Amino acid sequence: MKKKCLTLLAAVLALAMLLAGCGSGNTGGTQDGTSSTGATNADGERVLRIRKTASLISTDWELVTDTADLPIIWVQVFQGLYGINEAEGGYYKELAKEVDISDDGLVYTITLQDATFQNGDPLKASDVVFSYNRAMQNARFNYVTNMIDKVEEVDEKTVRFTLKYPYSAIDHTFFTIKISSEREVTEAGDSFGTGPHTAGTGPYYISEYDPASGLTLKAYDGYWEGEPAIKEVQYIIISEDSAAVIAFENGEIDFMTDAPTAEWDALVAASGENNAVLKGNNIRMLCINYQSDVNNGILGNPLVRQAICYAVDKESVNAVAAGGLGTPTAEYMPSDYVPTAPAAAEGGYETFEYNPEKARELLLEAGFTEADLEAGISVGTLTTYGAATGEKAKAAQVIQSNLKDVGLICEVEVADASIITPRLKAQDYDLGIYGDSGNFDFNNIRQQVHSESEGTQVIKYRDENSCVDWERVEELCDLGVGTTDVEQRKQYYTELWSIIAESATIFPYLHMPVCVVWSDDLNIDKAQLCPTYYHLYDFSWQ
Amino acid sequence: MYKYVLKRVAFLIPTILGVTFIIFAVMNITPGNPGLAILGPTVPQEDIDAYNHALGYDLPLLQKYVNYVRDMVVDQDFGISYFTKQPVFDEIWPRFQLTIKLSLLGVLLAALIGVPLGILAAVKQYSLLDTIPSILSFFIAAIPGFVLGTLMLYVFSLKLGWLPSYGTGSFSHYIMPVLAIAIPPAAQNMRFTKSSMLEAIRQDYVRTARAKGAPERTVIWKHALRNALLPVVTQVGMSLGLLICGSVVVEKLFSLPGIGSLIIDRINFKDEPVIIGGTILISICFTIVMLLVDIIYAFIDPRIRAKYSKSKG
Repeated sequence: MKKKCLTLLAAVLALAMLLAGCGSGNTGGTQDGTSSTGATNADGERVLRIRKTASLISTDWELVTDTADLPIIWVQVFQGLYGINEAEGGYYKELAKEVDISDDGLVYTITLQDATFQNGDPLKASDVVFSYNRAMQNARFNYVTNMIDKVEEVDEKTVRFTLKYPYSAIDHTFFTIKISSEREVTEAGDSFGTGPHTAGTGPYYISEYDPASGLTLKAYDGYWEGEPAIKEVQYIIISEDSAAVIAFENGEIDFMTDAPTAEWDALVAASGENNAVLKGNNIRMLCINYQSDVNNGILGNPLVRQAICYAVDKESVNAVAAGGLGTPTAEYMPSDYVPTAPAAAEGGYETFEYNPEKARELLLEAGFTEADLEAGISVGTLTTYGAATGEKAKAAQVIQSNLKDVGLICEVEVADASIITPRLKAQDYDLGIYGDSGNFDFNNIRQQVHSESEGTQVIKYRDENSCVDWERVEELCDLGVGTTDVEQRKQYYTELWSIIAESATIFPYLHMPVCVVWSDDLNIDKAQLCPTYYHLYDFSWQ
Repeated sequence: MYKYVLKRVAFLIPTILGVTFIIFAVMNITPGNPGLAILGPTVPQEDIDAYNHALGYDLPLLQKYVNYVRDMVVDQDFGISYFTKQPVFDEIWPRFQLTIKLSLLGVLLAALIGVPLGILAAVKQYSLLDTIPSILSFFIAAIPGFVLGTLMLYVFSLKLGWLPSYGTGSFSHYIMPVLAIAIPPAAQNMRFTKSSMLEAIRQDYVRTARAKGAPERTVIWKHALRNALLPVVTQVGMSLGLLICGSVVVEKLFSLPGIGSLIIDRINFKDEPVIIGGTILISICFTIVMLLVDIIYAFIDPRIRAKYSKSKG
């Protein structure tokens, strides 16, 4: 009996030790003071808790790649010469106080704001030169820096950019490249980005960082535009949508952007008036590879490609893939966020509105018979990436069904992005679904259509058998950045997009929605909410 | 016995080398590369190639493998993460501890629930004490941990507000995740223990013990249970190993930063050093668990002890 008691005691002790170990260390998002009515920090200040879906891989702005992390590091912690505000229509001067452009458009002289870094150092022209030179050595930023010839310090508060050729889309460069403290980055060396730092000029600095569990931001009280109203922000990693919804309903999260559309009704019920569905700067497209050799090169026939575009019912795709919350579109970039983007409403290019009868007519015109359409004509495989139950996969199934309705048959193939993206780049597909996001200047389309971006094109236009006048397309790309006149640029881009649209090779179909919810005690102006880059600085507690 | 343990420990070395090589080979044949994942699709291929070269990613498979094993053995260095630029060990160790904690608690709870219920069901066969747990275990064993976890989140976190839905700050944070991973193996343990006990009870030596007039308690606890426990110990040990590898779903659901979710996340980025380091740690742990099971087995089973005692003699 004594032996049994001892065994039982040992087991209980072991369990107790394990359980006691559970309390040690806080790797999660919650801490003392957390309750369903709000979390507070050690100083008794309210903590804003925001859901994050995945780890932040670095606190260095150059290494952040996930689009969900960009608003954190690129907006709250670091700043560029320009900022972005989609709600107010694009770029604005941030660390740039004044910008002077030479008559030939080659020299930009910029006077800096009287800002300080979070470490207390004043922002100097040498920091800007350092940050640009550092970014220009990073291949990832070639697409926004390769037009820069040199960056020079004129005086402590003035910096001069000399361009190799006139480039009016430089605003995007001024936004993309962030300014960091030369002293702090240099002192940290290779370890910069692996921990908390104070090397940005943004309203918040990173006070805690653990790739496993998230990060904490604290308000920078010396922020050059005034101290932020919210003093502490915790980003908590909750990867599962259902768990995030429960955490929000339970009051354990205060703000969630990119909330799951499948759970939107529950979130609306839980948030009352505190929610918004924003039109995302994130567009889904169907791409048709005119060089595919499937079914004797059927996709090389422009009539077949046009028939495919006419067959796609964007409303159905929206209903299935985005819960009806998205916005069907014919624009490559949203014209309401991108001033230089040609608006579909203004015409000037083919939009292929849903018309299955027209699709069938085009197929008959292409030489197929009614019998062929009844039997089904193969157009190969519709390839996309992401989860098998993700929005792209769902869209693929709807498009497959749409095509079948007009007599075209395709298989659907869904795999991880790491597998599919290189295949799309290598033109190893028939039909594909892909997305493009975060564009604020129509010049970004050159990544898809210009031969200098050969490695990134989903459709390879520069080819002796090209389906478009690619030389004119490239000329229009160059003309577009050769002038600062927005209306003129828009005309060039309208012609450019009309050439691409006419070829029926890239077919934009849907703006993905950005669903946002927040708690009752958070003060957020709905009109100020931005789909891509939200600004915590504009938030406050009730 | 000492020799037996040494033999099993020595077996760890080829196991780890084999696992490492398989992971290297698998990573080598899967598409994608870290350069593409880090720099993004807008960057020309030559820049991506240069980036991969700087990481040493483009080295031949065997050379990469040999370098890795050398660094691991000589310097105890698991490398640097391609993404976070942090030492791999620093990244995986805290997460590994969490997974181990979760798995140990889960397996302990599963054993504490499942084994006694299984014994009871076998001893009281055809009674309510057998029927009800058996039916319950039948249903529970069929429910995936993910569903069970979501259900618990809904009830205990959202509706009752008793437990937090995420994080690891306190004991209460562990209750639902541990239950979610413990209940399905508890049901399996119960069914396994019951069938093992029933088989033992029908053996001749049990009948002999009863014929000799041994009290029923002694027959069950000393003769039947001891023999019935042999496969149960293996089952419990296996479930610990499986929980270490398989708690990723529960980790994701309850937002626990464990090793499984880390590996899954980094597979998408081809963060080879982290994937390999994490897998090695898991395989070492799995092998140690299996070794412990074998040692316990030897303690329970006098035949194994006798075999090694004889060879020693």
